[in-house]
Amino acid sequence: MRRRFGWRGALCAALIAAAPAAVQAQVVRRGLPPFAKGYEPHTVDERGMWMIADEDERKLRDSKFVINDSALNAYIRSVLCKTVGDDRCQGARIYVMRIAAFNASMSPNGTLQVWSGLLMRVRSEAELAAVLGHEFAHFEMRHSLAGYRHARSASDIMAWASLLGTSGIVLQAAAVGSFFSYGRAQEEEADQLSMQYLLNSPYNPQGFADVWERIMSETDATALGRKQRSTRYDRTAFFASHPTTLQRAGYLRELAGQRTGDDGEDRYLKAMAKWRPEFLADQLKLNDFGGTEYLLGQLAKSGWTPDLLMARADLHRTRGNPRDLVSAADLYRQVVAQSPDNAEAYRGLGMALLRGPNPAEGKDALRHYLSLRPDAQDSAMISVLTQ
Amino acid sequence: MTRPLSIVRALLAALLLCSIAPAYAGNKLIVAGVSIAVAKSAMTVTPEREWNKMGARPGRNSETWTLDGDTLNDLTFYGGIANDATLFREVNKRSAPLPRFSSTMLLTDIPVLLENSYRIALNTSLMAVDSVTPTTFAGEKAIHFTYSFTNQDGLRRNGEGTAAIIAGKLYMITFEAPVIHYFARDVASYHQVVASVRFPAVAKRK
Repeated sequence: MRRRFGWRGALCAALIAAAPAAVQAQVVRRGLPPFAKGYEPHTVDERGMWMIADEDERKLRDSKFVINDSALNAYIRSVLCKTVGDDRCQGARIYVMRIAAFNASMSPNGTLQVWSGLLMRVRSEAELAAVLGHEFAHFEMRHSLAGYRHARSASDIMAWASLLGTSGIVLQAAAVGSFFSYGRAQEEEADQLSMQYLLNSPYNPQGFADVWERIMSETDATALGRKQRSTRYDRTAFFASHPTTLQRAGYLRELAGQRTGDDGEDRYLKAMAKWRPEFLADQLKLNDFGGTEYLLGQLAKSGWTPDLLMARADLHRTRGNPRDLVSAADLYRQVVAQSPDNAEAYRGLGMALLRGPNPAEGKDALRHYLSLRPDAQDSAMISVLTQ
Repeated sequence: MTRPLSIVRALLAALLLCSIAPAYAGNKLIVAGVSIAVAKSAMTVTPEREWNKMGARPGRNSETWTLDGDTLNDLTFYGGIANDATLFREVNKRSAPLPRFSSTMLLTDIPVLLENSYRIALNTSLMAVDSVTPTTFAGEKAIHFTYSFTNQDGLRRNGEGTAAIIAGKLYMITFEAPVIHYFARDVASYHQVVASVRFPAVAKRK
Protein backbone atom coordinates (compact mmCIF):
# COMPACT_ATOMS: atom_id res chain seq x y z
CA MET A 1 0.00 0.00 0.00
CA ARG A 2 2.74 2.36 0.96
CA ARG A 3 4.53 1.76 -2.35
CA ARG A 4 1.37 2.39 -4.35
CA PHE A 5 0.70 5.62 -2.48
CA GLY A 6 4.33 6.54 -3.20
CA TRP A 7 4.06 6.51 -6.98
CA ARG A 8 0.65 8.10 -6.87
CA GLY A 9 2.00 10.83 -4.66
CA ALA A 10 4.98 11.34 -6.97
CA LEU A 11 2.74 11.54 -10.04
CA CYS A 12 0.44 13.89 -8.21
CA ALA A 13 3.35 16.15 -7.27
CA ALA A 14 4.61 16.12 -10.86
CA LEU A 15 1.20 17.10 -12.18
CA ILE A 16 0.79 19.86 -9.58
CA ALA A 17 4.16 21.19 -10.68
CA ALA A 18 2.99 21.08 -14.31
CA ALA A 19 -0.31 22.82 -13.57
CA PRO A 20 1.11 26.35 -13.13
CA ALA A 21 2.78 26.04 -16.55
CA ALA A 22 -0.62 25.35 -18.06
CA VAL A 23 -2.10 28.18 -15.96
CA GLN A 24 0.33 30.69 -17.34
CA ALA A 25 -0.03 29.53 -20.94
CA GLN A 26 -0.40 32.68 -23.01
CA VAL A 27 -2.25 32.94 -26.28
CA VAL A 28 0.13 33.13 -29.17
CA ARG A 29 -0.74 36.29 -31.05
CA ARG A 30 -1.16 35.40 -34.70
CA GLY A 31 -1.46 37.75 -37.65
CA LEU A 32 -3.99 40.54 -37.50
CA PRO A 33 -5.64 41.75 -34.29
CA PRO A 34 -9.29 40.65 -33.89
CA PHE A 35 -10.65 44.17 -34.50
CA ALA A 36 -9.07 44.40 -37.97
CA LYS A 37 -11.58 44.72 -40.82
CA GLY A 38 -12.34 41.38 -42.43
CA TYR A 39 -10.51 39.47 -39.71
CA GLU A 40 -11.14 35.75 -39.90
CA PRO A 41 -10.51 33.58 -36.84
CA HIS A 42 -7.55 31.18 -36.91
CA THR A 43 -7.41 27.71 -35.38
CA VAL A 44 -10.24 25.30 -34.68
CA ASP A 45 -10.86 26.75 -31.21
CA GLU A 46 -11.12 30.35 -32.36
CA ARG A 47 -13.32 29.48 -35.33
CA GLY A 48 -15.63 27.53 -33.02
CA MET A 49 -15.87 30.41 -30.56
CA TRP A 50 -16.65 32.89 -33.31
CA MET A 51 -19.29 30.60 -34.74
CA ILE A 52 -21.05 30.45 -31.33
CA ALA A 53 -20.62 34.21 -30.85
CA ASP A 54 -22.10 34.87 -34.31
CA GLU A 55 -25.13 32.74 -33.48
CA ASP A 56 -25.56 34.51 -30.12
CA GLU A 57 -25.34 37.87 -31.87
CA ARG A 58 -28.06 36.91 -34.35
CA LYS A 59 -30.35 36.15 -31.38
CA LEU A 60 -29.26 39.30 -29.57
CA ARG A 61 -30.03 41.49 -32.58
CA ASP A 62 -33.67 40.34 -32.46
CA SER A 63 -33.99 40.48 -28.66
CA LYS A 64 -36.81 42.61 -27.24
CA PHE A 65 -34.37 43.82 -24.58
CA VAL A 66 -32.25 45.77 -27.10
CA ILE A 67 -32.86 49.53 -26.98
CA ASN A 68 -33.19 50.66 -30.59
CA ASP A 69 -32.09 54.29 -30.31
CA SER A 70 -29.61 55.22 -33.03
CA ALA A 71 -28.61 58.48 -31.29
CA LEU A 72 -27.78 56.67 -28.04
CA ASN A 73 -25.90 53.98 -29.93
CA ALA A 74 -23.91 56.56 -31.91
CA TYR A 75 -23.02 58.39 -28.70
CA ILE A 76 -21.68 55.25 -27.03
CA ARG A 77 -19.68 54.44 -30.16
CA SER A 78 -18.18 57.94 -30.16
CA VAL A 79 -17.03 57.42 -26.54
CA LEU A 80 -15.56 54.01 -27.43
CA CYS A 81 -13.75 55.49 -30.45
CA LYS A 82 -12.28 58.34 -28.40
CA THR A 83 -11.08 55.77 -25.86
CA VAL A 84 -9.55 52.98 -27.94
CA GLY A 85 -8.93 54.90 -31.17
CA ASP A 86 -10.76 55.10 -34.49
CA ASP A 87 -8.77 52.22 -35.96
CA ARG A 88 -9.97 49.83 -33.26
CA CYS A 89 -13.56 50.86 -32.56
CA GLN A 90 -15.16 50.59 -35.99
CA GLY A 91 -15.48 46.81 -35.96
CA ALA A 92 -17.44 46.68 -32.68
CA ARG A 93 -21.23 46.24 -32.86
CA ILE A 94 -22.85 47.94 -29.89
CA TYR A 95 -26.10 46.69 -28.34
CA VAL A 96 -27.63 48.71 -25.51
CA MET A 97 -29.71 46.35 -23.37
CA ARG A 98 -32.64 47.31 -21.12
CA ILE A 99 -31.34 45.42 -18.09
CA ALA A 100 -31.23 47.21 -14.74
CA ALA A 101 -27.87 45.92 -13.51
CA PHE A 102 -24.28 47.18 -13.72
CA ASN A 103 -22.69 45.26 -16.59
CA ALA A 104 -21.06 45.38 -19.99
CA SER A 105 -19.48 42.56 -21.97
CA MET A 106 -17.75 41.95 -25.27
CA SER A 107 -17.81 38.68 -27.20
CA PRO A 108 -14.82 37.27 -29.11
CA ASN A 109 -16.40 38.38 -32.41
CA GLY A 110 -16.72 42.03 -31.37
CA THR A 111 -20.30 42.16 -30.03
CA LEU A 112 -20.36 44.80 -27.30
CA GLN A 113 -23.29 44.71 -24.85
CA VAL A 114 -23.90 47.70 -22.60
CA TRP A 115 -26.63 47.32 -19.97
CA SER A 116 -28.89 50.20 -18.99
CA GLY A 117 -27.98 49.72 -15.30
CA LEU A 118 -24.39 50.64 -16.20
CA LEU A 119 -25.47 53.75 -18.12
CA MET A 120 -27.47 54.91 -15.10
CA ARG A 121 -24.61 54.36 -12.66
CA VAL A 122 -21.71 56.01 -14.48
CA ARG A 123 -21.66 59.76 -14.04
CA SER A 124 -19.43 60.96 -16.87
CA GLU A 125 -18.03 60.10 -20.27
CA ALA A 126 -14.68 59.35 -18.63
CA GLU A 127 -16.26 56.68 -16.41
CA LEU A 128 -18.12 55.13 -19.34
CA ALA A 129 -14.88 55.19 -21.33
CA ALA A 130 -13.11 53.27 -18.56
CA VAL A 131 -15.66 50.45 -18.54
CA LEU A 132 -15.91 50.25 -22.36
CA GLY A 133 -12.11 50.24 -22.58
CA HIS A 134 -11.92 47.38 -20.11
CA GLU A 135 -14.31 45.23 -22.17
CA PHE A 136 -12.49 46.14 -25.36
CA ALA A 137 -9.21 45.07 -23.77
CA HIS A 138 -10.64 41.58 -23.12
CA PHE A 139 -11.61 41.45 -26.79
CA GLU A 140 -8.29 42.70 -28.09
CA MET A 141 -6.35 40.24 -25.93
CA ARG A 142 -8.60 37.35 -27.02
CA HIS A 143 -9.25 36.48 -23.40
CA SER A 144 -12.27 34.26 -24.14
CA LEU A 145 -10.11 32.04 -26.31
CA ALA A 146 -7.31 31.88 -23.77
CA GLY A 147 -9.82 31.21 -21.00
CA TYR A 148 -11.41 28.42 -23.00
CA ARG A 149 -8.06 26.74 -23.66
CA HIS A 150 -7.08 27.09 -20.05
CA ALA A 151 -10.39 25.64 -18.87
CA ARG A 152 -9.87 22.71 -21.20
CA SER A 153 -6.38 21.97 -19.91
CA ALA A 154 -7.65 22.31 -16.33
CA SER A 155 -10.48 19.84 -17.05
CA ASP A 156 -7.94 17.45 -18.67
CA ILE A 157 -5.88 17.58 -15.48
CA MET A 158 -9.02 16.95 -13.45
CA ALA A 159 -9.96 13.94 -15.59
CA TRP A 160 -6.51 12.40 -15.24
CA ALA A 161 -6.39 13.20 -11.54
CA SER A 162 -9.66 11.36 -11.00
CA LEU A 163 -7.80 8.16 -11.89
CA LEU A 164 -5.55 8.73 -8.89
CA GLY A 165 -8.36 8.19 -6.40
CA THR A 166 -8.22 10.08 -3.13
CA SER A 167 -4.70 11.41 -3.68
CA GLY A 168 -5.92 13.00 -6.93
CA ILE A 169 -8.36 15.22 -5.02
CA VAL A 170 -5.61 17.70 -4.13
CA LEU A 171 -4.65 17.96 -7.75
CA GLN A 172 -8.26 18.37 -8.83
CA ALA A 173 -8.66 21.18 -6.32
CA ALA A 174 -5.49 22.82 -7.68
CA ALA A 175 -6.89 22.60 -11.22
CA VAL A 176 -10.24 24.12 -10.17
CA GLY A 177 -8.41 26.87 -8.28
CA SER A 178 -6.18 27.60 -11.27
CA PHE A 179 -9.28 27.96 -13.46
CA PHE A 180 -10.65 30.78 -11.32
CA SER A 181 -7.31 32.46 -10.56
CA TYR A 182 -6.66 32.54 -14.32
CA GLY A 183 -9.89 34.51 -14.70
CA ARG A 184 -8.65 36.99 -12.08
CA ALA A 185 -5.30 37.35 -13.90
CA GLN A 186 -7.16 38.13 -17.13
CA GLU A 187 -9.23 40.80 -15.39
CA GLU A 188 -6.09 42.49 -14.10
CA GLU A 189 -4.51 42.31 -17.54
CA ALA A 190 -7.61 43.92 -19.09
CA ASP A 191 -7.59 46.62 -16.39
CA GLN A 192 -3.97 47.42 -17.23
CA LEU A 193 -4.55 47.63 -20.99
CA SER A 194 -7.70 49.70 -20.57
CA MET A 195 -5.75 52.09 -18.34
CA GLN A 196 -3.27 52.45 -21.22
CA TYR A 197 -6.17 53.34 -23.52
CA LEU A 198 -7.37 55.95 -21.03
CA LEU A 199 -3.91 57.46 -20.60
CA ASN A 200 -3.69 57.84 -24.41
CA SER A 201 -7.20 59.33 -24.63
CA PRO A 202 -8.45 62.81 -23.68
CA TYR A 203 -10.35 61.30 -20.73
CA ASN A 204 -9.62 61.57 -17.04
CA PRO A 205 -8.31 58.13 -15.97
CA GLN A 206 -9.29 58.69 -12.31
CA GLY A 207 -12.90 57.84 -13.22
CA PHE A 208 -12.07 54.13 -13.45
CA ALA A 209 -11.33 53.75 -9.74
CA ASP A 210 -14.26 56.03 -8.86
CA VAL A 211 -16.69 53.60 -10.55
CA TRP A 212 -15.44 50.63 -8.52
CA GLU A 213 -15.49 52.56 -5.26
CA ARG A 214 -19.10 53.54 -5.81
CA ILE A 215 -20.09 49.97 -6.72
CA MET A 216 -18.64 48.81 -3.37
CA SER A 217 -20.60 51.44 -1.48
CA GLU A 218 -23.82 50.65 -3.35
CA THR A 219 -23.46 46.93 -2.60
CA ASP A 220 -22.94 47.81 1.06
CA ALA A 221 -26.02 50.03 1.04
CA THR A 222 -28.11 47.27 -0.55
CA ALA A 223 -26.95 44.77 2.09
CA LEU A 224 -27.64 47.22 4.89
CA GLY A 225 -31.11 47.97 3.52
CA ARG A 226 -31.88 44.24 3.50
CA LYS A 227 -30.41 43.72 6.96
CA GLN A 228 -27.70 41.47 5.55
CA ARG A 229 -23.98 41.37 6.23
CA SER A 230 -21.98 43.53 3.89
CA THR A 231 -19.70 41.88 1.34
CA ARG A 232 -16.00 41.69 2.19
CA TYR A 233 -13.93 43.39 -0.47
CA ASP A 234 -10.46 42.54 0.80
CA ARG A 235 -10.52 38.77 0.49
CA THR A 236 -10.48 36.75 -2.72
CA ALA A 237 -12.80 33.76 -2.61
CA PHE A 238 -11.55 30.49 -4.07
CA PHE A 239 -14.17 30.62 -6.84
CA ALA A 240 -13.87 34.37 -7.56
CA SER A 241 -13.47 35.10 -11.26
CA HIS A 242 -12.66 38.77 -10.71
CA PRO A 243 -10.09 40.49 -8.45
CA THR A 244 -11.57 41.89 -5.27
CA THR A 245 -13.23 45.22 -5.88
CA LEU A 246 -11.04 46.83 -3.23
CA GLN A 247 -7.82 45.56 -4.87
CA ARG A 248 -9.13 46.75 -8.18
CA ALA A 249 -9.94 50.27 -7.01
CA GLY A 250 -6.50 50.38 -5.36
CA TYR A 251 -4.33 49.38 -8.30
CA LEU A 252 -6.41 51.39 -10.77
CA ARG A 253 -5.82 54.50 -8.66
CA GLU A 254 -2.08 53.70 -8.68
CA LEU A 255 -1.96 53.14 -12.45
CA ALA A 256 -3.81 56.40 -13.13
CA GLY A 257 -1.18 58.33 -11.12
CA GLN A 258 -1.64 62.08 -11.02
CA ARG A 259 -2.97 62.33 -14.58
CA THR A 260 -6.28 64.14 -15.02
CA GLY A 261 -8.27 64.92 -18.14
CA ASP A 262 -11.67 65.55 -19.61
CA ASP A 263 -14.58 64.16 -17.56
CA GLY A 264 -17.28 65.04 -20.09
CA GLU A 265 -19.92 65.08 -17.36
CA ASP A 266 -22.22 67.61 -19.04
CA ARG A 267 -22.06 65.86 -22.40
CA TYR A 268 -22.88 62.57 -20.71
CA LEU A 269 -25.89 63.95 -18.84
CA LYS A 270 -27.19 65.55 -22.04
CA ALA A 271 -26.85 62.29 -23.97
CA MET A 272 -28.68 60.37 -21.23
CA ALA A 273 -31.42 62.98 -20.62
CA LYS A 274 -33.98 61.07 -22.68
CA TRP A 275 -33.32 57.74 -21.01
CA ARG A 276 -32.46 58.55 -17.40
CA PRO A 277 -36.09 58.72 -16.19
CA GLU A 278 -36.75 55.30 -17.74
CA PHE A 279 -33.64 53.75 -16.21
CA LEU A 280 -34.44 55.33 -12.84
CA ALA A 281 -37.95 53.84 -13.00
CA ASP A 282 -36.46 50.39 -13.65
CA GLN A 283 -34.19 50.78 -10.63
CA LEU A 284 -37.06 51.90 -8.35
CA LYS A 285 -38.95 48.69 -9.12
CA LEU A 286 -36.18 46.37 -7.91
CA ASN A 287 -37.22 46.45 -4.24
CA ASP A 288 -33.72 47.58 -3.23
CA PHE A 289 -34.29 50.53 -0.90
CA GLY A 290 -30.75 50.86 0.46
CA GLY A 291 -28.93 50.54 -2.87
CA THR A 292 -31.34 52.86 -4.69
CA GLU A 293 -31.20 55.51 -1.95
CA TYR A 294 -27.38 55.46 -2.20
CA LEU A 295 -27.50 55.61 -5.99
CA LEU A 296 -29.88 58.58 -6.01
CA GLY A 297 -27.62 60.36 -3.53
CA GLN A 298 -24.67 59.83 -5.86
CA LEU A 299 -26.58 61.05 -8.92
CA ALA A 300 -27.64 64.12 -6.96
CA LYS A 301 -24.07 65.14 -6.12
CA SER A 302 -24.49 68.31 -8.15
CA GLY A 303 -28.00 69.00 -6.84
CA TRP A 304 -31.41 67.41 -6.38
CA THR A 305 -33.18 67.96 -9.68
CA PRO A 306 -36.99 67.41 -9.82
CA ASP A 307 -36.60 63.98 -11.50
CA LEU A 308 -34.24 62.75 -8.77
CA LEU A 309 -36.49 64.14 -6.02
CA MET A 310 -39.49 62.42 -7.62
CA ALA A 311 -37.59 59.15 -7.82
CA ARG A 312 -36.62 59.40 -4.15
CA ALA A 313 -40.18 60.26 -3.15
CA ASP A 314 -41.54 57.29 -5.12
CA LEU A 315 -38.91 55.04 -3.51
CA HIS A 316 -40.07 56.03 0.00
CA ARG A 317 -43.76 55.82 -0.88
CA THR A 318 -43.33 52.33 -2.36
CA ARG A 319 -41.65 51.02 0.79
CA GLY A 320 -44.56 52.53 2.64
CA ASN A 321 -43.56 52.43 6.31
CA PRO A 322 -45.36 55.24 8.20
CA ARG A 323 -42.13 57.28 8.39
CA ASP A 324 -41.50 56.65 4.67
CA LEU A 325 -44.89 58.15 3.82
CA VAL A 326 -44.03 61.29 5.80
CA SER A 327 -40.64 61.54 4.00
CA ALA A 328 -42.28 60.90 0.64
CA ALA A 329 -44.87 63.66 1.19
CA ASP A 330 -42.07 66.06 2.12
CA LEU A 331 -40.08 65.16 -1.01
CA TYR A 332 -43.13 65.55 -3.28
CA ARG A 333 -43.68 69.01 -1.75
CA GLN A 334 -40.07 69.90 -2.66
CA VAL A 335 -40.78 68.86 -6.27
CA VAL A 336 -43.95 70.95 -6.34
CA ALA A 337 -41.99 73.91 -4.97
CA GLN A 338 -39.50 73.59 -7.87
CA SER A 339 -42.09 72.86 -10.57
CA PRO A 340 -45.66 73.81 -9.54
CA ASP A 341 -47.23 72.25 -12.66
CA ASN A 342 -45.80 68.78 -12.02
CA ALA A 343 -49.02 66.74 -11.99
CA GLU A 344 -47.24 63.48 -11.13
CA ALA A 345 -45.86 65.07 -7.96
CA TYR A 346 -49.40 65.97 -6.83
CA ARG A 347 -50.50 62.41 -7.59
CA GLY A 348 -47.67 60.98 -5.48
CA LEU A 349 -48.26 63.55 -2.71
CA GLY A 350 -51.96 62.68 -2.62
CA MET A 351 -51.29 58.96 -2.36
CA ALA A 352 -48.61 59.35 0.32
CA LEU A 353 -50.93 61.50 2.44
CA LEU A 354 -53.96 59.31 1.82
CA ARG A 355 -52.08 56.26 3.07
CA GLY A 356 -50.38 58.21 5.81
CA PRO A 357 -51.39 60.71 8.44
CA ASN A 358 -53.51 63.20 6.50
CA PRO A 359 -56.12 61.65 4.16
CA ALA A 360 -58.15 64.86 3.74
CA GLU A 361 -55.12 66.79 2.49
CA GLY A 362 -54.27 63.76 0.31
CA LYS A 363 -57.65 63.94 -1.40
CA ASP A 364 -57.10 67.66 -2.11
CA ALA A 365 -53.73 66.87 -3.73
CA LEU A 366 -55.32 64.18 -5.88
CA ARG A 367 -58.06 66.61 -6.95
CA HIS A 368 -55.32 69.05 -7.93
CA TYR A 369 -53.68 66.27 -9.97
CA LEU A 370 -56.97 65.68 -11.80
CA SER A 371 -57.36 69.41 -12.49
CA LEU A 372 -53.87 69.50 -14.00
CA ARG A 373 -54.34 66.26 -15.97
CA PRO A 374 -58.09 65.85 -16.58
CA ASP A 375 -57.45 63.40 -19.43
CA ALA A 376 -55.05 61.19 -17.44
CA GLN A 377 -55.55 57.48 -18.10
CA ASP A 378 -56.07 56.79 -14.39
CA SER A 379 -58.45 59.74 -13.79
CA ALA A 380 -61.48 57.51 -13.07
CA MET A 381 -59.53 55.43 -10.55
CA ILE A 382 -58.07 58.51 -8.86
CA SER A 383 -61.55 60.06 -8.66
CA VAL A 384 -62.67 57.03 -6.65
CA LEU A 385 -59.80 57.64 -4.18
CA THR A 386 -60.91 61.23 -3.67
CA GLN A 387 -64.41 60.18 -2.54
CA MET B 1 -33.65 -11.63 7.32
CA THR B 2 -35.08 -10.73 3.95
CA ARG B 3 -38.61 -10.00 5.05
CA PRO B 4 -37.92 -7.33 7.76
CA LEU B 5 -35.50 -5.64 5.39
CA SER B 6 -38.08 -5.51 2.60
CA ILE B 7 -40.65 -4.06 5.05
CA VAL B 8 -38.19 -1.40 6.08
CA ARG B 9 -37.49 -0.67 2.42
CA ALA B 10 -41.20 -0.44 1.62
CA LEU B 11 -41.73 1.91 4.57
CA LEU B 12 -38.80 4.06 3.49
CA ALA B 13 -40.13 4.15 -0.08
CA ALA B 14 -43.59 5.16 1.20
CA LEU B 15 -42.06 7.87 3.38
CA LEU B 16 -40.02 9.14 0.45
CA LEU B 17 -43.07 9.20 -1.78
CA CYS B 18 -45.04 11.09 0.86
CA SER B 19 -42.27 13.65 1.26
CA ILE B 20 -42.06 14.36 -2.47
CA ALA B 21 -45.78 14.10 -3.14
CA PRO B 22 -46.49 17.89 -3.28
CA ALA B 23 -43.93 18.30 -6.06
CA TYR B 24 -45.73 15.69 -8.13
CA ALA B 25 -49.29 16.72 -7.22
CA GLY B 26 -51.12 16.28 -10.49
CA ASN B 27 -53.14 18.74 -12.48
CA LYS B 28 -56.86 18.57 -11.97
CA LEU B 29 -59.82 19.12 -14.25
CA ILE B 30 -62.14 21.96 -13.22
CA VAL B 31 -65.59 21.15 -14.51
CA ALA B 32 -67.84 23.76 -16.06
CA GLY B 33 -70.86 25.17 -14.27
CA VAL B 34 -69.92 24.09 -10.75
CA SER B 35 -69.06 26.59 -8.03
CA ILE B 36 -65.63 25.94 -6.53
CA ALA B 37 -63.55 27.54 -3.76
CA VAL B 38 -60.15 28.71 -5.04
CA ALA B 39 -56.69 29.44 -3.64
CA LYS B 40 -57.42 27.89 -0.24
CA SER B 41 -59.76 30.75 0.52
CA ALA B 42 -63.42 31.65 0.90
CA MET B 43 -63.45 33.03 -2.64
CA THR B 44 -65.59 30.92 -4.97
CA VAL B 45 -65.98 31.07 -8.74
CA THR B 46 -68.23 29.28 -11.24
CA PRO B 47 -66.47 28.83 -14.59
CA GLU B 48 -68.63 28.38 -17.70
CA ARG B 49 -66.02 26.23 -19.42
CA GLU B 50 -63.58 23.55 -18.36
CA TRP B 51 -60.18 24.60 -17.05
CA ASN B 52 -57.13 22.68 -15.80
CA LYS B 53 -55.92 23.47 -12.31
CA MET B 54 -52.11 23.30 -12.19
CA GLY B 55 -50.67 21.01 -9.53
CA ALA B 56 -47.91 23.48 -8.67
CA ARG B 57 -49.11 26.55 -6.77
CA PRO B 58 -47.33 29.90 -7.31
CA GLY B 59 -47.50 30.49 -3.57
CA ARG B 60 -49.23 29.45 -0.38
CA ASN B 61 -52.47 31.37 -1.04
CA SER B 62 -52.71 31.08 -4.78
CA GLU B 63 -53.46 28.69 -7.59
CA THR B 64 -53.27 28.72 -11.36
CA TRP B 65 -55.68 27.43 -13.97
CA THR B 66 -54.87 27.04 -17.63
CA LEU B 67 -56.46 25.97 -20.91
CA ASP B 68 -53.50 24.94 -23.05
CA GLY B 69 -50.54 25.05 -20.65
CA ASP B 70 -49.15 27.43 -18.08
CA THR B 71 -47.09 29.50 -20.52
CA LEU B 72 -49.99 29.89 -22.96
CA ASN B 73 -52.85 31.01 -20.74
CA ASP B 74 -52.59 31.56 -17.00
CA LEU B 75 -55.54 32.35 -14.79
CA THR B 76 -54.16 32.94 -11.30
CA PHE B 77 -56.17 33.36 -8.11
CA TYR B 78 -54.67 35.08 -5.07
CA GLY B 79 -56.88 34.15 -2.16
CA GLY B 80 -56.26 36.50 0.73
CA ILE B 81 -52.61 37.54 0.70
CA ALA B 82 -51.96 38.65 4.26
CA ASN B 83 -50.13 41.74 5.47
CA ASP B 84 -46.33 41.49 4.97
CA ALA B 85 -46.59 38.48 2.63
CA THR B 86 -45.27 38.24 -0.92
CA LEU B 87 -47.65 37.62 -3.82
CA PHE B 88 -45.95 34.35 -4.65
CA ARG B 89 -42.99 32.22 -3.62
CA GLU B 90 -39.62 34.00 -3.36
CA VAL B 91 -37.29 33.25 -6.27
CA ASN B 92 -34.14 34.36 -4.49
CA LYS B 93 -34.89 35.73 -1.06
CA ARG B 94 -31.34 36.88 -0.35
CA SER B 95 -30.28 38.65 -3.52
CA ALA B 96 -33.66 39.49 -5.07
CA PRO B 97 -36.34 39.61 -2.38
CA LEU B 98 -39.90 40.23 -3.56
CA PRO B 99 -41.92 43.22 -2.34
CA ARG B 100 -44.59 42.51 0.28
CA PHE B 101 -48.25 43.33 0.43
CA SER B 102 -49.34 45.74 3.13
CA SER B 103 -52.92 45.94 4.33
CA THR B 104 -52.65 49.75 4.36
CA MET B 105 -52.00 49.84 0.60
CA LEU B 106 -54.33 51.81 -1.65
CA LEU B 107 -55.98 49.97 -4.53
CA THR B 108 -53.68 51.83 -6.93
CA ASP B 109 -50.67 50.29 -5.18
CA ILE B 110 -51.74 46.74 -6.17
CA PRO B 111 -50.82 46.88 -9.89
CA VAL B 112 -47.46 48.36 -8.84
CA LEU B 113 -46.95 45.49 -6.38
CA LEU B 114 -47.67 42.97 -9.15
CA GLU B 115 -45.41 44.77 -11.63
CA ASN B 116 -42.47 44.95 -9.23
CA SER B 117 -42.91 41.31 -8.19
CA TYR B 118 -42.94 40.20 -11.83
CA ARG B 119 -39.93 42.33 -12.75
CA ILE B 120 -37.91 40.69 -9.98
CA ALA B 121 -39.19 37.12 -10.31
CA LEU B 122 -39.04 37.01 -14.10
CA ASN B 123 -35.84 39.06 -14.26
CA THR B 124 -37.25 41.45 -16.82
CA SER B 125 -37.35 45.20 -17.20
CA LEU B 126 -39.92 44.91 -19.98
CA MET B 127 -43.07 45.10 -17.88
CA ALA B 128 -45.64 47.86 -17.72
CA VAL B 129 -49.05 48.50 -16.23
CA ASP B 130 -50.92 49.96 -19.19
CA SER B 131 -54.22 51.08 -17.64
CA VAL B 132 -56.09 51.20 -14.33
CA THR B 133 -59.86 51.64 -13.90
CA PRO B 134 -62.24 51.33 -10.96
CA THR B 135 -64.49 48.30 -10.79
CA THR B 136 -66.25 46.06 -8.29
CA PHE B 137 -65.22 42.59 -7.18
CA ALA B 138 -68.00 40.55 -5.57
CA GLY B 139 -69.63 43.85 -4.68
CA GLU B 140 -66.47 45.34 -3.13
CA LYS B 141 -64.65 48.46 -4.34
CA ALA B 142 -61.88 47.14 -6.60
CA ILE B 143 -59.34 47.97 -9.29
CA HIS B 144 -59.12 46.53 -12.77
CA PHE B 145 -55.81 46.88 -14.61
CA THR B 146 -54.14 45.77 -17.80
CA TYR B 147 -50.45 45.01 -18.18
CA SER B 148 -47.94 43.66 -20.65
CA PHE B 149 -44.54 42.04 -20.24
CA THR B 150 -41.84 40.15 -22.04
CA ASN B 151 -40.32 37.19 -20.32
CA GLN B 152 -36.79 35.85 -20.87
CA ASP B 153 -38.33 33.61 -23.57
CA GLY B 154 -38.79 36.78 -25.64
CA LEU B 155 -42.53 36.30 -26.07
CA ARG B 156 -44.70 39.35 -25.43
CA ARG B 157 -47.67 38.69 -23.15
CA ASN B 158 -50.69 40.75 -22.21
CA GLY B 159 -52.39 40.53 -18.86
CA GLU B 160 -55.43 41.75 -16.96
CA GLY B 161 -56.06 41.79 -13.26
CA THR B 162 -58.88 42.57 -10.86
CA ALA B 163 -58.08 43.12 -7.20
CA ALA B 164 -59.76 44.15 -3.97
CA ILE B 165 -58.57 44.49 -0.39
CA ILE B 166 -61.11 42.79 1.86
CA ALA B 167 -60.66 42.69 5.64
CA GLY B 168 -57.01 43.69 5.20
CA LYS B 169 -56.22 40.86 2.79
CA LEU B 170 -55.59 40.98 -0.93
CA TYR B 171 -57.90 39.06 -3.25
CA MET B 172 -56.94 39.16 -6.90
CA ILE B 173 -57.49 37.29 -10.13
CA THR B 174 -55.09 37.78 -13.03
CA PHE B 175 -55.07 36.43 -16.54
CA GLU B 176 -52.15 36.51 -18.95
CA ALA B 177 -51.41 34.99 -22.32
CA PRO B 178 -49.16 35.63 -25.33
CA VAL B 179 -50.28 38.60 -27.43
CA ILE B 180 -50.16 36.34 -30.47
CA HIS B 181 -53.40 34.37 -30.75
CA TYR B 182 -54.05 33.35 -27.13
CA PHE B 183 -54.82 36.55 -25.23
CA ALA B 184 -57.63 37.83 -27.45
CA ARG B 185 -59.06 34.33 -27.83
CA ASP B 186 -59.29 33.55 -24.10
CA VAL B 187 -59.70 36.86 -22.27
CA ALA B 188 -63.53 36.58 -22.35
CA SER B 189 -63.31 33.37 -20.28
CA TYR B 190 -61.35 35.33 -17.68
CA HIS B 191 -63.98 38.06 -17.58
CA GLN B 192 -66.63 35.42 -17.03
CA VAL B 193 -64.71 33.86 -14.11
CA VAL B 194 -64.20 37.30 -12.48
CA ALA B 195 -67.91 38.09 -12.86
CA SER B 196 -68.75 34.82 -11.06
CA VAL B 197 -66.69 35.57 -7.91
CA ARG B 198 -68.59 35.24 -4.66
CA PHE B 199 -67.57 35.43 -1.03
CA PRO B 200 -69.51 33.59 1.64
CA ALA B 201 -70.56 36.15 4.27
CA VAL B 202 -67.92 35.02 6.75
CA ALA B 203 -65.07 36.30 4.58
CA LYS B 204 -66.65 39.71 4.18
CA ARG B 205 -66.58 40.55 7.85
CA LYS B 206 -64.38 43.62 8.23
